[in-house]
Amino acid sequence: MNINKHWLFGIVFLAFFMVGCSSDSSGEDAVDLNWASPAGYTPQSPVASDAEYISEKVSEFEEENPDVNLNVDVMANNVNEAMARLMEQAESGRAPDLAAIDGYILPNFYDHLQPLDDLMEEYGIDPDDYLPFAKDVVTGPDGKIYGLYMNTDTRVLFYDTDVIPEPPSTWDEVIEVSTKIQEEGYNGLMLPGGRGEGTSVTTLWPLFWAQGGELTDDDGNPTFGEGENREKMLNVLTTIQEAAEAGAIPQRVSSYGAEGDLDQEVATGKTAMFLGGNWQETVIPDLIGEEEFESWAVAPLPQIEEGTDATSAGGWTWGIFTEDEEKQRAAFDLMARLYMSDQGMGEFNNVFGGLPSRESVFDSEYYKGTKFSDEYREMLEEAQTRPPSPEYSKISTEMQIAISEVISGGKTPEQALDDAWNSVNN
Amino acid sequence: MSNFQSVKSPKIKPGKRAFVNSPFPWLLPLGLILTFVFVYPIFEIIRLSFTDASLLGADYSYTTESYGRLFGHSEFFSMLLITAIFVSFSVVFQLFFGFIIAFLIDQGQKLDLKGTVIVRTSVLTAWAIPGVIIGIIWRVMYTETEVGIFNSLVGMVGMDLIPFLSDPTIALISVIVANVWRGTAFSMILIYAAIQTLPNDVMEAAKIDGANGLQRLFKVMLPMLAPIILVTLIIISIDTFNTFDMVMALTGGGPGQSTEVIALSIYTTIFREFNLGQGAATSVVLLSINVIMTLVYLKILGRQGEK
Repeated sequence: MNINKHWLFGIVFLAFFMVGCSSDSSGEDAVDLNWASPAGYTPQSPVASDAEYISEKVSEFEEENPDVNLNVDVMANNVNEAMARLMEQAESGRAPDLAAIDGYILPNFYDHLQPLDDLMEEYGIDPDDYLPFAKDVVTGPDGKIYGLYMNTDTRVLFYDTDVIPEPPSTWDEVIEVSTKIQEEGYNGLMLPGGRGEGTSVTTLWPLFWAQGGELTDDDGNPTFGEGENREKMLNVLTTIQEAAEAGAIPQRVSSYGAEGDLDQEVATGKTAMFLGGNWQETVIPDLIGEEEFESWAVAPLPQIEEGTDATSAGGWTWGIFTEDEEKQRAAFDLMARLYMSDQGMGEFNNVFGGLPSRESVFDSEYYKGTKFSDEYREMLEEAQTRPPSPEYSKISTEMQIAISEVISGGKTPEQALDDAWNSVNN
Repeated sequence: MSNFQSVKSPKIKPGKRAFVNSPFPWLLPLGLILTFVFVYPIFEIIRLSFTDASLLGADYSYTTESYGRLFGHSEFFSMLLITAIFVSFSVVFQLFFGFIIAFLIDQGQKLDLKGTVIVRTSVLTAWAIPGVIIGIIWRVMYTETEVGIFNSLVGMVGMDLIPFLSDPTIALISVIVANVWRGTAFSMILIYAAIQTLPNDVMEAAKIDGANGLQRLFKVMLPMLAPIILVTLIIISIDTFNTFDMVMALTGGGPGQSTEVIALSIYTTIFREFNLGQGAATSVVLLSINVIMTLVYLKILGRQGEK
């Protein structure tokens, strides 16, 4: 009996002690904010400068919000896998309070996300300030804003003005210019033409979109291989085939699936023009030297028809899943500091090397910009994002196979397109 | 001792004693582990192969459509053919070079040549490097510009650059060569171990009987090595069927689908196209191939045992 009394006293004492400790450390109203993101957007970023920026802002937030405990959950490196897992969590009601979502996929999460209009107004972020493509992505069918688009990127033609004074604006001109510069010992036009998402967003979709093509219908069903869309996609593959046959694009591009794969070509000093992503602007000087890079410029992607324009935009958004208003406010405050306010978006993109998704930030005192940021901003006005269809990955993979086969000479454009269409619908 | 037995024995019932004395208590932990990490996943893969499950959603229904689509698609048979070519050539050359290197090291040791251990170790290094790294290393070597290691050599002798990774046929050959480089060490180790166990008296008897070097190799040594060569053949065949990482890093299955082997196709189907049902059905096909190879392996081993 005595032993039981001692035990009882011990338990009560321990309970008081624990309650006392917890009140001292985090306050009675402490909330846990679970934050899921790829490592690159967390304090654990593998890039030292990004990690330093994020850590500093997170520390500021923690100092000003001692009652909020931040729990960072680093997502898988494979974006598709990470997004699939996040969708699973959202559907089973286990989503984190706040998560980074690949921009074009955000519409798939509308049903699970909280509208942010009130908080945006409170923090002075105008939804109309978003670039057109970004506003389309974050605006739900009910007209409310469901995401915070924090950064973007775009695809352009990089060219060396010393070799190519006037950049080609159509593919007929690409063939003409390529033939000419090859006589001077340069490569033709380099582009990603193999298996990889870079091929889809840099080479395929801009040519298709510029003709008004649609990869999927409003319900997400594939449409690229039927009716007028088939004709437009066939135009894309035929144009690429003609350029390959004319020697304007070398066969080896069929093994390059990412924009970064072209860096090795630029490094040889024999590449005078290539289709790439804006972030490569910071890589080229390292490859060829600052002095050589001075003569480089950017231009809109060449199109099939003169006067048409299209490019791809990427980037990431943040979505708030929690229904708890206190957590919503904390999550929004964190994101505003890190990525969304004029200062946050400007400073983050300075460090990260991305482009702001809000027009005013380009002019803000916080955004330093780059040599070509004005051109990127102009091109982003015509930018589109990939369709948020569950079928998109399949469409993209099959069309990468198709263009790769056309460039390597394995199939005709018709065969390649029909096989891709059959595979997607099989 | 007798006291101890008299105390313990009455407490164990005869049935229980039989169980305790049987091998089952020893095998039970292993059996449980195998059930959770081997049998259950296989069961799940087979179950999922009869569904239309997607990685993007939790809902699915049972159907045989995955198999119907798989076998009704010409690309599937083209992929099987590519896999068969990849496996056949990889296996033949891994065995051939494995035997040659093992034989040379053995001869070098017999002649007290220095450096045999270094040769053995350096060959083994290729086997120890992860497949993804090997894929990247070979991708650098195959680079199709003048800065590529092979193409710079080609350029030095005045030949045109070789499209190692962008021509469908040459790309498949390139992948096979990289895989042969990677897998030769395993064959070498097994065959080298077998050569060490060959009885010297038989080899010496053949020599005394007047057999020349080639006759001793083909008529005495190879027949004695046949069992281990067969076992090696089957192990590396299964291993090559399952190869995915190196091809992924080297070509990603391209250009087109010219180097898309079955294991890579499974990855693409599940993790890029999110089609869990069809990916599982393809996995079952690969599993069946591996089971058949294993049965052949067991049959051959059993036959050897009877001899």
